[in-house]
Amino acid sequence: MSKVNKTILRSLLLLSYVVIIALVIYGFGALYSYLNTGADRSKMLHTEVKQVDQYLPELEWAPLANEGRPMDQQTLTAIGNDYLDAWYVKHVAYKTNTQKGLDDYYTKSARQNIFNIIAFNTENKTTIDATTLEHHPTLEFFSEDGQLAVLTDHNVIEYKRISKDEKLVSEINEKVSYKVTLLLEDGFWRIRHLVKLTSEPYLKVTNKKRLKVTDIKGINYYPQANPWDMFGDHFDTDIITEDLDIIKNSGLNSIRIFVPYESFGKSSVDKIRLKQLIKVLDLADAKNLKVMVTLFDFYGDYSVLDWTLTQRHAKIIINALKDHNALSSWDIKNEPNLDFESRGEQLVTAWLDKMVDFVQSQDPNHAVTIGWSNAKSASILKDKLDVVSFHYYEDLDQLETTYKTLKTNIKDRPIVITEFGVSSYSGLWNPFGDSEDDQADYHKTIQSIFSENDIQFMSWTLYDFDNIPKEVVGRLPWRQNAQKHFGFIDKNGAKKGAFEFISN
Amino acid sequence: MKLKYLYIVIFSVLLFSTTIVLQTNEVASSYNLVSKQSLYTAGDPIELQFSFTGNSEVYLYCSNSYGSVILNPIVKNFQLSFSIPQSISKKSGVLNWQLVSDKKELSGQIKMQPKAKINSIESYLGPPSIEAGGTDFTMLVVIPTDDLDNPLMDSTKVAIKHQYLTNQTTSDVFTEHGFGYHNIYSETESGRILISSESLDLNSKEYDVNVVPAIPTNFVITSERIHNYADGNQITTFRTSVLRDRFDNIVSDGTFVTFFITNKDGYKSKTSGATINGIATAKLLQPDREDQWTIKAYVEGMANSNTIVLNYKQAVEDFDVTFSEDKRSITIGPLKSFMNQHVPDGMRVHLSVYKNNVLESETIEHSLNGIATFYLNPDRFPKGIYELALSAAGITKKFTEVRYE
Repeated sequence: MSKVNKTILRSLLLLSYVVIIALVIYGFGALYSYLNTGADRSKMLHTEVKQVDQYLPELEWAPLANEGRPMDQQTLTAIGNDYLDAWYVKHVAYKTNTQKGLDDYYTKSARQNIFNIIAFNTENKTTIDATTLEHHPTLEFFSEDGQLAVLTDHNVIEYKRISKDEKLVSEINEKVSYKVTLLLEDGFWRIRHLVKLTSEPYLKVTNKKRLKVTDIKGINYYPQANPWDMFGDHFDTDIITEDLDIIKNSGLNSIRIFVPYESFGKSSVDKIRLKQLIKVLDLADAKNLKVMVTLFDFYGDYSVLDWTLTQRHAKIIINALKDHNALSSWDIKNEPNLDFESRGEQLVTAWLDKMVDFVQSQDPNHAVTIGWSNAKSASILKDKLDVVSFHYYEDLDQLETTYKTLKTNIKDRPIVITEFGVSSYSGLWNPFGDSEDDQADYHKTIQSIFSENDIQFMSWTLYDFDNIPKEVVGRLPWRQNAQKHFGFIDKNGAKKGAFEFISN
Repeated sequence: MKLKYLYIVIFSVLLFSTTIVLQTNEVASSYNLVSKQSLYTAGDPIELQFSFTGNSEVYLYCSNSYGSVILNPIVKNFQLSFSIPQSISKKSGVLNWQLVSDKKELSGQIKMQPKAKINSIESYLGPPSIEAGGTDFTMLVVIPTDDLDNPLMDSTKVAIKHQYLTNQTTSDVFTEHGFGYHNIYSETESGRILISSESLDLNSKEYDVNVVPAIPTNFVITSERIHNYADGNQITTFRTSVLRDRFDNIVSDGTFVTFFITNKDGYKSKTSGATINGIATAKLLQPDREDQWTIKAYVEGMANSNTIVLNYKQAVEDFDVTFSEDKRSITIGPLKSFMNQHVPDGMRVHLSVYKNNVLESETIEHSLNGIATFYLNPDRFPKGIYELALSAAGITKKFTEVRYE
């Protein structure tokens, strides 16, 4: 017995010795490589230009017909940039009740007016979180020496959230026109005079014809190998073509795809990914499939000062796709009601409200919807949307009632269920989960409900996945594993029982 | 029976009280604007009053040209009264408000006029110098403002006055978009324009703009020199006539004139000068050998002069060369100038050494007291036969078969 103990002791000593030596070597190695990394020579002169988009409302100059010196494009751009920056620093100033940045964009006497209001708001514990979404300036005058410009900014769309004692008091929507006098000082176009000309409450009323989508029989699509990450380096047209073939042959007519906000480059949309997105639509068009494009996937900021950036993102993508034959509709955001708790229902709804207006203004010819995660939220903003859509993962017994209740609430809009499905995972983390047969039963039942009630649908999803990014359902294994088994086709490419009931 | 009445009483009381509750709920949110004045002058104290019934916990959102505030009401006599702070009411433009209550929104606006009394005339003048001739102009932009820094109402009259030489002019402009402007054109004479403006009996300070002459027209050049010998020592001075623009204004001091000199071999030199009172001068060292210079001056891209020709006579007619005993020291001179005087120090003497018709070395020495000396070092020029060529002032002397031991 003692012999065995001795051997164990010896081997432990030996092992600890090896571990200590390894750690020491690693430590020296890390130190050595740290000392060998220095500043990059190319960065020595700080020649790289760091410009971050912070504020990009729609800015549309009226055709030039100004008095005084003829205006050139370069100066006009400089004036436009500095003018918008002036708005931005003012928004920040009123949001935080600080004076940072105002010196650069308002002349000495003009900034005094803002300081006075900041002082008043600080005293009354008022903060104003504001943004402007549209500017339509007309250049009235440019002085001969190029140092003074006067413009009228027509119909500025302003949005303000006013809080007192950190409690939201009111939301203000206004359409305002300003007369602005700018001076060129120290290389900045600074606001010297600002006079509000008109102001009216603004609520966008769209009288446009409601767009209908009919007969959607679709599926949410990600390739099997890279779900939630189909664009970029892994983009593979061959795989997508094959998958679209499977979808088409199964009797479906639509797919729903997702455009992630951040990896698409936020306000400066990545050209390569945008081309890939168009390619997906091309491929779908070749198979005669329609595409619902879901914007702002993984977006979660919603802060008022970020709105102009999201609108720029949407503008670029919408204008690239809006004439595409395969495009069926826009889903503004996937399950935004899940952000209600962390970001506030009112803020998220306000963002959605403005974004729906914006998308409809950019593309009046395609239906707009919001992919609510449950039927309870589906009535939010229903009057703005062309199509109401929600996701259904609850009990099948309730589906018919839920749908009919919703239908009585929303009479004049088509209602589409844009996600539903069940995981066929039963294993270590969920021994009582559904089997593949249960899944097949589920789809059989739900399809018969769809047929009976004439419900348009898009199922989740074509494939079982191997890897689920942690941003989707977190890291917990029982969630991860469940999410991996929602497919009609398993990870080896074999059709599961449910595949038979993919369509009706 | 008693119970029955009791029930009826209790029931009716309940019914009555719920009706009251319902009524108060309905009445609770009615607000009406009492103060109807919708036009104020900036800086005036403004009180917005609302009659109300029910809930007095409301706010007034209020926004002017620069920003927004939230106001709490003062409640008295069933009226809500909001006094607009100075920081909001002192700016001109539209002042819009909105009553924030849980009921239907009540909103409106007040027009804030700038004061009628002027406090200052903001003036922006530029460019600060313009060209004579009546086509170039400067622009005066004026923004008359009140004492709260608001631009005055549009169509305010501003008299823009300027004085030039003997003329004094007044032009009336009317403000639009908050400002007025006037272009002041130059005349044909250079000088200085004095400008001022006046509005509502307030006079601005004096501004000035320089009217600079236009570009020069063609001119004439002359030259000046002590003598016409090519002694490589004296200096020839070139001078322009007075440079004037096409309106006879003397061009601005500092106008740059370049003189191009071409010698008889076609080589070009240049010298330059800037004008003072319209005249530019430039100098160049005379040549050290007989030559002919052709000179023409330019103000580049604008004007040029006539061409003049200068001849330089040979100053040094001949010179002696003496060798030392070992022939390694060579003395040239004395070099004599046109009156047989020694040439001034510094005349260039050039020695070329050939061996087997191949150039071995070239050396330059400058004369001192009329003499230049070369020494050919035995380390550099070992034993052998050399050919030497010595030249000064354009004269070359050759010595073949110089033998070094």
